[in-house]
Amino acid sequence: MKVLVIEDEKELSDSICTYLANEQFVCERTFDFDSSMEKILLYDYACIVLDVNLPGGSGLDILKELKNQNKTDGVLIISARNSLDDKVFALKTGADDYLTKPFHLPELAARVNAIIRRKSFEGKNEIICNELKLDLQEKNVRVSNSPVDLTKKEYELLLYFISNKNRVISKNAIAEHLWGDNMDVADNYDFIYTHIKNLRKKLMQAGAADYIKSIYGMGYKFCV
Amino acid sequence: MKLFTKYNRINLLTTIIIFLLSATAFYFVIRYILINQVDSDLKIEEREIETYVKEHGVLPEPIPVKDQKISYALYDRDFKKRKFTTDHLEGERDSFRVLQFGIVAKGNIYIATVAKSLESTDDLTMSILLISLVTIFVILLTFLVINRVLLKRLWQPFYSSLDILKNFRVDKKQSLGFPTTQIDEFAFMNETIRKTTNQAQQEYSLLKEFTENASHEMQTPLAIIRSKLDLLIQDENLSEDQSKNMQSVYSAIEKLSRLNQSLLLLAKIENNQYAEITSVNLKDKITEKLAAFHELWQNQNITVTSSLEDARVNLNTELADILLNNLLSNATRHNFSNGSIDVELKGRELRISNTSSERELNSKQMFLRFFSQDKKSRYNGLGLSIIKQICDVSGFNIRYSFSQQQHRFILSW
Repeated sequence: MKVLVIEDEKELSDSICTYLANEQFVCERTFDFDSSMEKILLYDYACIVLDVNLPGGSGLDILKELKNQNKTDGVLIISARNSLDDKVFALKTGADDYLTKPFHLPELAARVNAIIRRKSFEGKNEIICNELKLDLQEKNVRVSNSPVDLTKKEYELLLYFISNKNRVISKNAIAEHLWGDNMDVADNYDFIYTHIKNLRKKLMQAGAADYIKSIYGMGYKFCV
Repeated sequence: MKLFTKYNRINLLTTIIIFLLSATAFYFVIRYILINQVDSDLKIEEREIETYVKEHGVLPEPIPVKDQKISYALYDRDFKKRKFTTDHLEGERDSFRVLQFGIVAKGNIYIATVAKSLESTDDLTMSILLISLVTIFVILLTFLVINRVLLKRLWQPFYSSLDILKNFRVDKKQSLGFPTTQIDEFAFMNETIRKTTNQAQQEYSLLKEFTENASHEMQTPLAIIRSKLDLLIQDENLSEDQSKNMQSVYSAIEKLSRLNQSLLLLAKIENNQYAEITSVNLKDKITEKLAAFHELWQNQNITVTSSLEDARVNLNTELADILLNNLLSNATRHNFSNGSIDVELKGRELRISNTSSERELNSKQMFLRFFSQDKKSRYNGLGLSIIKQICDVSGFNIRYSFSQQQHRFILSW
């Protein structure tokens, strides 16, 4: 699957591509308005990571052009502007999601994954990972076909881990994913510890393998 | 003290003193002139007596005339000198001007005393004095009234400028419109105020712009640092020490981006970028927030009680979210395990109280930026100033109280 990263800040674009590039994704990059326009018209992408402020034009115009061409590429807007108006405008124009800078790469990966899933599975929303089966519609989890009773946060956490398989996710990234930007309590990592402990316990009790590894108190990794 | 009270006081005092001095001087001068007049009358009398003695050789018979008395007395020596005195004579009510002179008749030396009543002179002096005093009084009164009316009118532009200046806000983009005035001083003053306030507004908006731009510019490097960190920790060969260092860097970056976000938010609120006001159902909003915080509280074993009545407020939706998030976050992070939070929405008031082991906040400084009760705090000290700023732009009133280890914030509108 091809992902196009349109971001004029080269370093950031590098990071995004390095993180996204795995067996699933092929990452292409453009850094300005004109070359981006060219790319989107020539090729189809599973998902486009689109910065709003570009040299030569606005990312939103690229988005409009995509919609005019009836292209179905998923679009994730990344922007330094975090006001509700900007988000609403981007989503109304046809973006699939909106992420405010600065973000954590696992968050970006989770969102890109979600967009691609929504685009490709069309209704049949299921993720299967060994003995784990996540129903994205019903938001429930089965281990070898027997249901596991997870809280909303534990479910979100599991989905986040699966979207970032075999990657170390920092506690900060997890906290921000679970509690969002605005809840200014995220720097208390006890919550995360409790959630992860419970999630691990529940999955293992249901017969799943021990996937979640703690990495020196710095973060966690979902090893498959 | 008002300027014209002060001015009147000085003016009145000096005028009264000058008038009193001049009235006294006037009195003495008039009296001197009138007495001189009487004296010359007396001299005429003296000459008449002398002429009579020269012609007839005897002293004239004193004719009793009202206001004038003449008497003679024998004297043993030569009486050369003429002597004027003012005296009260026996048995007379008024004072008299007396002239004594020596005269020789039939070889005898006599002292002749001619006295003239000063009654009419005194009357005249008194009436002149009275007239001048009345005049002084009338003049003073007129002065006072004119000053009062005139000064009030003259200072009118000053007071209207002052009124306009009272409504001046450095964060509002309105130029002060002063009424035109014919008085140079006031025109000059208005012009100076206008220039100064314009400049203040300009500099203030530049400063705001700077804050916003600075925060904006910081977003990208922060994003890069964060993304590089997210990549760095993927390294399987990281030692435990390196991982610990990495965690410190993460936390510092987290703090920095939060700080930056808060500053940006404050700048945006000040820049009126949240001007769109809608009617917000506060009860629904709070219920939604309580649900979002629920798991967090459960984790910490914090008991939450809430009693919510229907309430609608006019507020920007985003600001409403941030306000409630900040209030509830505060109540959570300054709490302790097994503590409690109480949310009460009643009438036109929202009370959020929480238990805490921290002491009472300094109510004078708590809303200042970067204020934190203890310097080692993990938080950036902008949370409360954001709350205050939102309350200010939304027309809410916020109070803080502390009792029985309970911190309480009360919002009213």
